[in-house]
Amino acid sequence: MTEPANNSEDWSLHAYADGEIAGQECRALDERLATDPEARAKVEAWRRQKSWLKEAFDPALDETVPPQIKAALRHRRGFSFSPAAIAAALALLLIGGAAGWFGSQQMNPPKAMEFADLAIEAHEIYSRESRHAVEVAANDSEHLTTWLSKRVGQKLVIPDLSARGYSFMGGRLLAAGDQPAAQFMYEDQAKRRITIFLTANAGGRESKFLVVEKQGVTACYWLDGPLGFVIAGETSRDDIVSLAHLVYQSFES
Amino acid sequence: MTFRADLTAEIPYLRRFARALTGDPALADDLVQDCVERALVKSHLYDPTRPLRAWLYAVLRNIHVSGLRRERRAGIVKTVDDLSDPEVMQRPSQEGETLFLQVTAALDRLPDQQREVVVLVALEEMSYRDVAEITGVPVGTVMSRLSRARSALRELIGEGAKPSLRRVK
Repeated sequence: MTEPANNSEDWSLHAYADGEIAGQECRALDERLATDPEARAKVEAWRRQKSWLKEAFDPALDETVPPQIKAALRHRRGFSFSPAAIAAALALLLIGGAAGWFGSQQMNPPKAMEFADLAIEAHEIYSRESRHAVEVAANDSEHLTTWLSKRVGQKLVIPDLSARGYSFMGGRLLAAGDQPAAQFMYEDQAKRRITIFLTANAGGRESKFLVVEKQGVTACYWLDGPLGFVIAGETSRDDIVSLAHLVYQSFES
Repeated sequence: MTFRADLTAEIPYLRRFARALTGDPALADDLVQDCVERALVKSHLYDPTRPLRAWLYAVLRNIHVSGLRRERRAGIVKTVDDLSDPEVMQRPSQEGETLFLQVTAALDRLPDQQREVVVLVALEEMSYRDVAEITGVPVGTVMSRLSRARSALRELIGEGAKPSLRRVK
């Protein structure tokens, strides 16, 4: 980067204006400013710029911190020791244990649970977005289903959850470990959001509806033939399970 | 727990910095949210002998820059519709708003590298050394970008007691 020669002098003026210079050098510059109107004008112009920047952006310091940032501050990553999480983990162990005990061939909890974890993570990340919650919005849902069906490798439909007050917002493509997954997002009148996570179920196994609660998110998940399903939201267990039935039905028909 | 508490105390400054970088309060808060998430995950990389604010500014700035790169690759250009949802932005007084818009428009016309330096030095009052660390360039480069940014701003918003945005070129 080449600079005009007179800039080196300018630089000491900048450093002076920014309080980077102390002691003798600072006093020398004080004297220079007293006798050099051009230098004085520069320093004054920079000070005005500074006060305009402050006036324009300082109000941000006093504004209420929005809930999305507060939530991010509370968020725990990678681990969770809340009593609810421990209870949920124990419940799952019991379900898994019971399944093993009865020698059920139908269950594949580890895979399904992995889907549930991924879905809950994706729910937490994207349902908080105000402006970029979905990649393709509801008004382009035909394109969305074609695209995501192609990526997931299975025919997808967008379940209609309006009977329970949730309207469809749109969806996005997700990475579920090494395979693509689809996320559909819905919102109710109170702006509460739920997401449906769909991905290919390579084993083709089936499972019952399973429920897990993690970091305030309740998820119901199941495997059904070619697809793995997870529906997640910050809502009650009953609400999620009844939504899960709706989702299940829309894929049956 | 103290890292989280210290981080919480820095939020207002992160919001101010992000707002000046993006010129858009809603985008700025998205950026702060990403920064908080990343800072919590990467907290083990923070050297507690260095100022936390400078470290957080570096985290936020890197997220912002990688976002800009992605946008450019994808050919996304800011449109009028992209600028702030009116409901998200808390309305300042009429005069304050004009000043905000003028200053934002002037900053928007600076190259990214000059904007971040003048914002960090003049608004955030970071030392040249901290700015060099945050932006990953030598102090000399910081000073030359600062000098260019200030000259450009003089051209753009004038010399008067109030900023008056000029049409340049």
